[in-house]
Amino acid sequence: MKTFNLPDLGEGLQEAEIVSWHVKEGDVVKVDQPLLSVETAKAVVDVPSPYAGRIAKLHWKDGDIVPTHSALCDFDDGSPSAAAAAPKPEARQPAKPAATFIKEVPIAEDSGTVVGKMATSSALVEETAIIRKRVVKGTGRPKAAPAVRAYAKSLGVDLSRLTGTGKNDLITRADVDRAASSPGAIAGTKDRRGEARPAVAKPSAPVAPIAFGEMTPLKGPRRAMHASMTKARSEVMGCTIFDDADIHYWAAGNDITGRIVRSIVAGVKAEPGFNAWYDGEKLARQLHERVDLAMAVDTPDGLIVPVLRDVGHKDLAQLRADLNVIKHKTHGRSVSPDDMRNPTITLSNFGMMAGRYATPVVVPPTVAIIGTGGIRHDVVPVLGGVEVHKRIPLSLTFDHRCQTGGEACRFLAAMIKDLQKAT
Amino acid sequence: MNNLAAKFEIPYFQFLDPDGKPAKAMPRIAGDVAELVRMYETMSFVRVFDTKAIALQRTGQLGTYASCLGHEAVHVAIGAAMRREDAFFPMYREYGAQFMRGVHPHEVLLFWGGDERGNCFKDAPAHDFAWCVPIATQFHHAAGAATAFKYRKQPRCAVTVIGDGGTSQGDFYESLNCAGAWQLPVVFVVCNNKWAISVPLSAQTSCETLAQKAIGGGIRGEQVDGNDIVAMRDAMDRALERGRQGQGATLIEAMTYRLSDHTTADDARRYRDSAEVEDAKGKEPLIRIRNYLTAIGAWDAKREEKLLADCAARVDAEVAIYKAAGKPPVESMFDHMFANLPEKLVRQREECLEGSTHHQGGSH
Amino acid sequence: MAKVALVEAITMAMAYEMAHDDSVVVLGEDVGKNGGVFRATLGLQERFGAERVIDTPLAEALIAGVSIGMAAMGLKPVAEIQFSGFIYPCVDEIINHAGRLRSRTRGRISVPMVLRAPSGGGIHAPEHHSESNEALFAHMPGIRVVMPSSPARAYGLLLAAIRDPDPVVFLEPTRLYRLNKQEVTDDGQALPLDTCFVLREGTDVTLVTWGAMVVESLAAAALLEEDGVSVEVIDLATVSPIDEQTVLESVEKTGRCVIVQEAPISGGVGSEVAALVAEKALYSLEAPIVRVAGWDTPMPLFKLEHDYMPSTARVVGGIKQALEG
Repeated sequence: MKTFNLPDLGEGLQEAEIVSWHVKEGDVVKVDQPLLSVETAKAVVDVPSPYAGRIAKLHWKDGDIVPTHSALCDFDDGSPSAAAAAPKPEARQPAKPAATFIKEVPIAEDSGTVVGKMATSSALVEETAIIRKRVVKGTGRPKAAPAVRAYAKSLGVDLSRLTGTGKNDLITRADVDRAASSPGAIAGTKDRRGEARPAVAKPSAPVAPIAFGEMTPLKGPRRAMHASMTKARSEVMGCTIFDDADIHYWAAGNDITGRIVRSIVAGVKAEPGFNAWYDGEKLARQLHERVDLAMAVDTPDGLIVPVLRDVGHKDLAQLRADLNVIKHKTHGRSVSPDDMRNPTITLSNFGMMAGRYATPVVVPPTVAIIGTGGIRHDVVPVLGGVEVHKRIPLSLTFDHRCQTGGEACRFLAAMIKDLQKAT
Repeated sequence: MNNLAAKFEIPYFQFLDPDGKPAKAMPRIAGDVAELVRMYETMSFVRVFDTKAIALQRTGQLGTYASCLGHEAVHVAIGAAMRREDAFFPMYREYGAQFMRGVHPHEVLLFWGGDERGNCFKDAPAHDFAWCVPIATQFHHAAGAATAFKYRKQPRCAVTVIGDGGTSQGDFYESLNCAGAWQLPVVFVVCNNKWAISVPLSAQTSCETLAQKAIGGGIRGEQVDGNDIVAMRDAMDRALERGRQGQGATLIEAMTYRLSDHTTADDARRYRDSAEVEDAKGKEPLIRIRNYLTAIGAWDAKREEKLLADCAARVDAEVAIYKAAGKPPVESMFDHMFANLPEKLVRQREECLEGSTHHQGGSH
Repeated sequence: MAKVALVEAITMAMAYEMAHDDSVVVLGEDVGKNGGVFRATLGLQERFGAERVIDTPLAEALIAGVSIGMAAMGLKPVAEIQFSGFIYPCVDEIINHAGRLRSRTRGRISVPMVLRAPSGGGIHAPEHHSESNEALFAHMPGIRVVMPSSPARAYGLLLAAIRDPDPVVFLEPTRLYRLNKQEVTDDGQALPLDTCFVLREGTDVTLVTWGAMVVESLAAAALLEEDGVSVEVIDLATVSPIDEQTVLESVEKTGRCVIVQEAPISGGVGSEVAALVAEKALYSLEAPIVRVAGWDTPMPLFKLEHDYMPSTARVVGGIKQALEG
């Protein structure tokens, strides 16, 4: 069973009136045979049959008004019955033409389009249309150029709290700067409508102090660190000298860590006494030719200190290759006890995160540790004027039981001299 | 003393009367019976197609469509007479001419079905123009093509069609004048079907014939019974020959009648007399050629039955192709704008693709 | 009071003015017995006769040119161009003469004509029947361009256009012709030209539009209201010259501007609105101006027309973009 629904006749109409059926129930029809004539408000149209078969049922009679897409008739073509047709809406009587001028011609049912398909409905539009041509003196909203708005946003300044000093109360960049530097200028957040949410909060409710509870024992590197630091405190007489290396004239492409390592070698060359082991009981020391540099590394498991061996005979490229190995081992947690044994001097490059100068701790039996802080732009006096130069802050802690301050200064001077070279 | 600055004559041609009775002297084409049969078969095919296209529109499967009912002889004669290397500049109704030149019926359906792919003309000559909605602009195009043919010394003609209404347009007059001044190898066919939507010929012009507008352009004009395929074909043959021989342009006014509405969204009963339509039906082109061919033993009822069945099958096959075409890809709006798409349009194309709700079946 | 569709309101306005002023005549293709291809002139020839409601030959340039001659000699022609894509032959006459005669003759000759035409897509029509070309005329000096968006405004604005002593190109959104009905009193009351209509008041975003896009704009505003966004919708109505005050005042209030047009985005009326807002309300803007418009392609054949025309979803997207800044 096939159902034929009233098609959209291309006039954009919602309904059509059946003028007359050309077939009756029981007739056998061919494809394209005229089935019925419908009136589409400006024309009478013959609707051809889309199927061949026997007319099983007509759903409407002559004179009925049929909504577009509702079932017109059923065909028995031997195919199984389709799902039930959509419920048949009430048949309506034709609408009366509208009143006044339009009554003279039955325009109410005329959609009138020679081409195309036009949506037609009697839905009533409800609207208000306001004519508004008064000049409003000002809505009170702050006025600022887009660039100034963006600038204020970046500083967290609320424009609605400012008075503009520009033309017509325009807020200027200077107004924003002024507001940013004054206390309490940073506002709370604003919602879309521009109403500021409050920045001042109510005081918190009181809470009791924290009580002592169960302690967790130290494990791994942290436990080892306790041991070595305790030993250091009880034995070493540490003294720290601070200075800076000006790397303004560095050529491009310098490997920072490599250069620092090389500068330490320069320092050792100038003052070999810092590349040594000291026995505080025997009052004896062993100076080393070879520089085995311990690199303090901060890991998720704690502080570990792998050793870069024989740095004095390696060029920068080689140093970098060996540093990468250490880095790789550290990430892979494969640094062995052998890797950390018997350094002759230590480097703590702590400045990546924060920190300028430090008093790093000498771990016996070594007698020196160099700390390098974060590279920064400093304002430096140059020939009576000022310039901004990149500098590396340096901190050298040495064991004053066996080394003097003068030696330490010469060590540092040699480091700085080497560091300040362009390459 | 009366002097005459100019005088003109407009010849008229008819060889088959409305019942198919032949004139005493028949033109050359009448000797080629196989060709007459071929043209008749195409006329029938066009009618079957046209009826189907209207049915498709009435069942919501095609947009607004311009029927060619009653114009079959005019259109088929044009297409049959033309050579492939000639160029055709249609209005929007001449399917008979286009089918003869290799345009597929499904391409016609695609065009009226709202799909530019109908203009691709896979097997028709690539130099034929697409359907032209702005009235009379196609006359300009035809004159330009004819100029190029003449410049290159090629024995090719441009052929274009216009309705009676279109002959009021400025573009029409400008084109005739240019064709006359430059002696162009162009054939202007005025398909006078008596109606421009609801405006009858009598309100369109006070000229006794539309053919005489050719005089205003300085070219030859003749009037033909457009429902007589023999006369129409003969007129086309002669006009094309003139063009190829360098004798210039011809305007053929083909007298016929628009048996259909202007388009499927028009209802001619609002403004036309049904008696006039009935009268015209009696003079329609298929009757007389069928009668003539039957009389000379070249046609019979059995062949007619087979022909109609073949036509129906072919039309159904074309409709199937049309229905399977789906919706063109959304980005095709942009892809044929320029040889190299400017940056702004590249961006818009991407934006459009991102925001498109394109899915199979073409919903809106 | 009658419930009328937009196209019926157009007929009402012409009928009213023809009944009260015998210098008003109607001309165009198929406007007489057929009542116009969209039935905009239905019944007028019956009522006022064939001398006043004239079926012209098929010649658009002629329709525009002949109207100018009639208008210069004291008639008030209301000419119809049948389909949007056929208006271009009129451009020569409208721009070179209708818009210039008053200036050329220092006020001695004027051209009180109206050129009506359907405008825009969405009616499943063949090629060239869905154009949005208001910008062509809006750009040219001496010409007013008016686009109604409801039956009431169609009635009032057409009356104003007919009575105006200078030429008006009156573009009617085709897909609004019968989309809905409105109560319109046939009392001859005109609405002001050169004036915006605020269709929806709001505080968060100013949405400027005209013609059929009013539908999508109001729909988008209603959708976003559920999310707590308050959109002010302004119908330009006269797209040239624009009522700047209403637009600027609204942007000063909301700080955000979205422009919605069906016509291609580049060089359109929306570009003019954007330039206006950028010039005169820059310091009130919290976010860049957003334009939601048609692509710079021809209106495609109808299978793709709804991918071309800005949908409610695209308008919503544009408003959200303006809110994000």
